[in-house]
Amino acid sequence: MRKILVPIKRVIDYAQKIRVDSSKGPQGVQLKNVKMSMNPFCEIAVEEAIQLKEKNKGAEVVAISVGPKQCTETIRTALAMGADRGIHIETKPDVRGDYVDLQPWAIASLLKGVVEKEDAVDLVLLGKQSIDSDCGQTGPLLAGLLNAPQATFAANIERGDDGSFTVERETDTESVLISLSNNKSAPSFTWQNSTTTLGTETIKLNACGKPAVITCDLRLNTPRYPTMPNIMKAKKKPVNTISLEDMVKELGLDLDEVLTPQNEVVEVYEPPPRKEGETVGSIDELLGKLKEKGLVA
Amino acid sequence: MFSLTRRLSFGLRYTNVPSRRNESNSKKLRGPAAQDVSYFRSVLTRPSHSVLDGTASHDVKDEIDKKYNTDWTRHYKGSSDLVLRPQTTWEVSSILKYCNENHIGVTTQGGNTGLCGGATPISNEVVLSMEYMNRIYKLDEYSGVMTCDAGCILQSLHDYAEEKGFLFPLDIGSKGTCQIGGNVSTNAGGHHFFRFGGMHGTVVGMEVVLADGRVLRLNIDNSEDGNNERTHQFQQSSASLRKDNTGYDLKQLFIGGEGTLGIVTKVAVACPALPTSKNVALLVCNSYNDVLQILKTSKEELGEILSAIELIDSNTMNFIQKYGAGNGDHLITELLSSETTSKQPLFILVESQGCNQESDFSKMDSFLTSLYESSTIENGFLAQDSKQIEEIWGLREACNPSVAQAGYVHKFDVSIGIESYMEVAEEVSDALKKSNLPDLTVCCWGHVADGNAHINIISGQFDGDVNEAEAIENIVYSSVMKRKGSISAEHGIGQSKRKYIGQTKDEAVLELMSQVKNLFDPNFILNPGKYLP
Repeated sequence: MRKILVPIKRVIDYAQKIRVDSSKGPQGVQLKNVKMSMNPFCEIAVEEAIQLKEKNKGAEVVAISVGPKQCTETIRTALAMGADRGIHIETKPDVRGDYVDLQPWAIASLLKGVVEKEDAVDLVLLGKQSIDSDCGQTGPLLAGLLNAPQATFAANIERGDDGSFTVERETDTESVLISLSNNKSAPSFTWQNSTTTLGTETIKLNACGKPAVITCDLRLNTPRYPTMPNIMKAKKKPVNTISLEDMVKELGLDLDEVLTPQNEVVEVYEPPPRKEGETVGSIDELLGKLKEKGLVA
Repeated sequence: MFSLTRRLSFGLRYTNVPSRRNESNSKKLRGPAAQDVSYFRSVLTRPSHSVLDGTASHDVKDEIDKKYNTDWTRHYKGSSDLVLRPQTTWEVSSILKYCNENHIGVTTQGGNTGLCGGATPISNEVVLSMEYMNRIYKLDEYSGVMTCDAGCILQSLHDYAEEKGFLFPLDIGSKGTCQIGGNVSTNAGGHHFFRFGGMHGTVVGMEVVLADGRVLRLNIDNSEDGNNERTHQFQQSSASLRKDNTGYDLKQLFIGGEGTLGIVTKVAVACPALPTSKNVALLVCNSYNDVLQILKTSKEELGEILSAIELIDSNTMNFIQKYGAGNGDHLITELLSSETTSKQPLFILVESQGCNQESDFSKMDSFLTSLYESSTIENGFLAQDSKQIEEIWGLREACNPSVAQAGYVHKFDVSIGIESYMEVAEEVSDALKKSNLPDLTVCCWGHVADGNAHINIISGQFDGDVNEAEAIENIVYSSVMKRKGSISAEHGIGQSKRKYIGQTKDEAVLELMSQVKNLFDPNFILNPGKYLP
């Protein structure tokens, strides 16, 4: 196995209370003085990449992030978990990564360019979605742009000796058994079999000269802690920082196209507070109230 | 009538040491009778909820026994037949006034999470539960002072403060159940004592009801408690100010007074701003000398952002792995498989809290690097997000519940000089091995930066015996006292440590404490059989 590319995103830590200043319109979500961490699904992707590297000697794990200069911290965390090197596409401080400015199409376009430039990328592992924008689109868009086989919501990944990946993915319902023939003109994947457990299906991504694109879901693994020996090693690992403008030029993309969002955020507001309940004194009263509200005949 | 013996749930039988000073007073107390129950029903506004009369039905008696007559450690069992759950300060005042006039003993109870039996009746006293007094009044956004009822559950205060961008300064493992009134009455220490200081500093005001029913408002605002029509007879109150040097600071007597001088009904606590940047690391080291180096280095490298340092020893970590790691299962596996030169490594949790993520992280990084490069630590696990932070703290909070499942626990909570922190556990361990007491494991964990060790001795057999308990106590306490330490750093006295207070305090101090008790509660109705020897 050669290279595993892991795009990671720096987001507001999942446990933080989100503050919205509605006077700021679409820019309402407060980012200042708020704890930021690696997106939890990206952590899972990094962990999976490292586990695959441990099973396949000689594989190189490359962590890549698009964001302001503080992203190097996030990349260092990936390195401290065991990634080999990092790429930081640095944006100007006022460019927001939470869907307001940078959106999945822009990121996927950049990643496509990086995959092609790096060459020898066998696998791109992404988190299934980021917890700020909740889009879940970057992985599928990237697969589409690369014309590569993809599997999303991975709960288990196995790599075959022939370079194929068998992915068990989360679904909402028990899947039906479908088989597709492995036709040269058809997409290069086959549905392997029906569910072994309720709520998953298994897909095999065949080796076809393109990197497999897999997005990771919660059950895939438990991300490790950065430990001292690895934290120390990480300090020496290379992180290549390049500004967004320079990267766009290098990849031959259009800066305007990348920075102009495809979708416009119209309004951001906090969910309305839960209304207080009413206490009633007796079952009769409860019945009366329910009838009043038309909830009971 | 008062019984001077109490049965422990595992078959032990302890005899109350007759008090030197208070014997005659406590003999005058009686338990509640039918006419008392009728009186309480008539003055409390929701008697169906506020009066639990154990003599009325088996179900009620069962409920009282399970919930109010038994403490968290299950070492203490009371025999109260009457639980009162007042909803306002005025109700508390009426109850106490009546009990005082009729010489009825009253035991106050909050979350019932104490570890010394201080909230468990020793006989058939009335249990006064604060659970219905749980309103949060306000949090001043400039001073950070939060005013609330004593029955508020600590976690709810944390949540409320967090909404407003503040941090409640007290944090302990039982925060999902314990109430602030109990915390104040026991002067709880907790994880952040090192950073924010104890309740003697953070509690800026309180409302307390005395044994005779008088309500004292000490630097607390009462305008929102809805009792205005009855409060005209009470003294002037003031808004909760941060500073007020106009008279003896009486509230300090009630902080840590364990309900023996009055019942705390409201508190005003100064809350610091919520830190936006938190870092937690779990370190593995070989010996206590390394821990001392960690303490030193943390002050140099982390300085003002250091917020907690906690120690967990190997025996404890093994019990946590067996009984209680929960989410931290795979962390603990990695921890225990660290390569150490010592067979009994020590684990140190270090937490920093600040307001700038970048600079805090860089300090933490420099701190860890310095420890690793000097071989002070064998390994360190740095939490990279909130989930990992919770997991690491989860291990620390699992210490108590895990050992409780392992067998009968002889609990000790001692304070010693930081340099000699592990000496007591080691000396006790040696002494126990040489004694003829079988099958005992000594566990040590605690707030090492405060010199506070929780020494828990676990017996493999569930039916401990009184001779064993006494022998162990003697070994532990003599080891502590010869180092001029404290036999109760933060857990308090309650029922379990009364007899030792007599041995560790000067005559003049004991005399004065007794006089203070006499002044505030001349009929000795408040928490009889507790605290003072």
